[in-house]
Amino acid sequence: MSTYRRVLNEISANSKRFISGKRRKYPINSEDAEKLPVFQYTVSKKEYRRVFAWGNLQTGALGIPALKRNESIDKLYYLQSPKRIGFGEKFEVRTACCGFGFSVFAVNSNTNDKIYGCGINTDSQIGYHEVRQHKPLGLIFYPQPIPLPFLSPEKSRVLKITAGRAHLVVLTDEGIFTLGNNAYGQCGRSIIPDEDYSRSNYINRIETIDGKKIVDIECGQDHSMAVTEDGCVYSCGWGADGQTGLGHFRNTPEFTRVKGDIESEKIVRLSCRSDFVLALNNKGEPDNFAGSCSTVAHSETHKNATPIGKIKSIASGGSFCVVVLVLKLNNRRRPILIPETLFGRNDFQPNNIVRKVTCGLNYAAAVTSLGDLFIWGRNKGACLGLGTEKDQYFPLKVAMGGHVQDVFCGIDHTIAICKPFI
Amino acid sequence: MLVRDAETIWNTLKGIICVYKPAESSVRRLRTIIINKICTGLNEMELTVSVRDNFADHPLVVGPRYQEKDLVVSWSNYLGWHSSGILIFGLRRGTSTAKYIRENLPTRAYRIKGTLGQATETGFSDGKVVERSTWKHVQPRNMDRLLSSMQAAHQKKMFEMCGVDMQSQLAYELALRGPIRPANSKLPIIYGLKCVEFEPPHFMIEIQCVNEYETYLASLIHEIGLKLHSTAHCTGIKCIRHSYFTLDDALLMKHWDLQNIITNLEQCNRVLNENDHLVRQESVALRR
Repeated sequence: MSTYRRVLNEISANSKRFISGKRRKYPINSEDAEKLPVFQYTVSKKEYRRVFAWGNLQTGALGIPALKRNESIDKLYYLQSPKRIGFGEKFEVRTACCGFGFSVFAVNSNTNDKIYGCGINTDSQIGYHEVRQHKPLGLIFYPQPIPLPFLSPEKSRVLKITAGRAHLVVLTDEGIFTLGNNAYGQCGRSIIPDEDYSRSNYINRIETIDGKKIVDIECGQDHSMAVTEDGCVYSCGWGADGQTGLGHFRNTPEFTRVKGDIESEKIVRLSCRSDFVLALNNKGEPDNFAGSCSTVAHSETHKNATPIGKIKSIASGGSFCVVVLVLKLNNRRRPILIPETLFGRNDFQPNNIVRKVTCGLNYAAAVTSLGDLFIWGRNKGACLGLGTEKDQYFPLKVAMGGHVQDVFCGIDHTIAICKPFI
Repeated sequence: MLVRDAETIWNTLKGIICVYKPAESSVRRLRTIIINKICTGLNEMELTVSVRDNFADHPLVVGPRYQEKDLVVSWSNYLGWHSSGILIFGLRRGTSTAKYIRENLPTRAYRIKGTLGQATETGFSDGKVVERSTWKHVQPRNMDRLLSSMQAAHQKKMFEMCGVDMQSQLAYELALRGPIRPANSKLPIIYGLKCVEFEPPHFMIEIQCVNEYETYLASLIHEIGLKLHSTAHCTGIKCIRHSYFTLDDALLMKHWDLQNIITNLEQCNRVLNENDHLVRQESVALRR
């Protein structure tokens, strides 16, 4: 009882000393702190980006030759969660692209080696790489330089790379370079019967189309498209399902102007992953280009009749397409909104919006303004990177150590380019 | 206080109270102080004892009428030694209310102060400095970028921890609702994390979370320091909100007397009546 009295008396005297009871046995000498050295940790350069990759390892498209030193990746089939790739630490990666089983990275460089490729190389889509004479490599596990015939390599820059099933299109200051399979004319050059693409070392350069500068490119499965500076769309390649949008179903070996409603529009962005193309005009309304389903095949472009608001980013996959914040599912007549809460918008982060959408063949990805990557769809080869092999039916965040800037989706692998936190 | 009758007061002393805990004091000690204050207050009041002959019940024989061991008090949220801020106590029958509130995993908001450049043994400023580093390179945007990334990572974690199959319809419906409570009461989950003040080397972050504890918050500051390529230690933790209880409800140390405690009890009861899901929670979605 007397203890409590004492407590009471001391508290009533507002003495804080009583309740601060912890004492150190050996008091800290504050001068010791001054004697410690001051560490200065490095801060990453402005141009430095972290490159993450995940998905199917067997094709070599991730650019990861081995997970541990002296360990083969034969036993591992896929990476279920993002891994930072070493290539991104050696080079300043500006942009990348994912094809069907191969990846290409564009780096800052003053030489002709501005792009590096890895993965499946059956049709020389990532350049001609041989160890022995006339024996080109069919699989490349670590990104190898693809020299492009630049006129002035010091000044030129690679602006965008896109890849189809077995061809590659590179947009630079000096026009576009195409390489790889040209069986349908997707490289924009005349089709040579029985051409041996695996031993081909041919890079096609197209400086201008109809005398106009090319500002954007996009590849479908076996066709290529280009947007010129005045907003016209040109396409070439496989047209069996009308994906070239030229009014016929034949293959086209050179870039030809797309017909239909699109002729009167100024197009700023294209999106395509397989046979279905979305084009965005400068007013933010999407145009449907060709249909790819077996039941319907439009050979000309059609304008979307249902206005859904101003659109900032578009993406189209195998049988679906996404515009920023708006999803159009297969078998749906009208686009429906994906709830914003699924992209991390809640009371604690009210300003979080989706900045960009991209599509793989069977999955889609969205990057938010806070630098988070949300992904959903079919999980072929663990391409979702969610740490599981299961399909994901609604957008879920991918755990990644960086502020996501860009994401590139292939068929069974994904690459993300992130800014470091500091 | 209108009622001067100790017995009536004693009978009303059932429920929860909300007090302000100063830093560098232990919850257990605060509990003792509060019990003392209440008992002294009660014992100072008028007490009419009708039995005259039996001295077995006389205060001079058995001691004061209201003794410390008679008053059951338990805390609903625990704040560590270095933390200050809102603390919820349950008195007598209110101890079960306090327990229910705790089991419903309400969110709490903290303001944590940190200082860049020094790492200490304990993670707090009273520990021995073990490393010094530069901090001039840290910009507010670096801090914001890191915090938003940490928050998003936690939101995904919360979703995985709610214990549903990710491929089910239920999972989708839960995802639509936004923040949800985890099934586990042990692992800390952060819902909101933002930097509210940045005057390098000092910074203050506001955090909304469940299941947190003091060491966790201190290690969070330490981790932020490491991720920003520097070092950091925690200089203050203040709980500014506990479910619906805010700093306005919290009783300051100088007001800890019977009269104020009774008033606070009524005030807390009002909050509980307005939000009965604080005590009986059936939804997994996060309401507050």
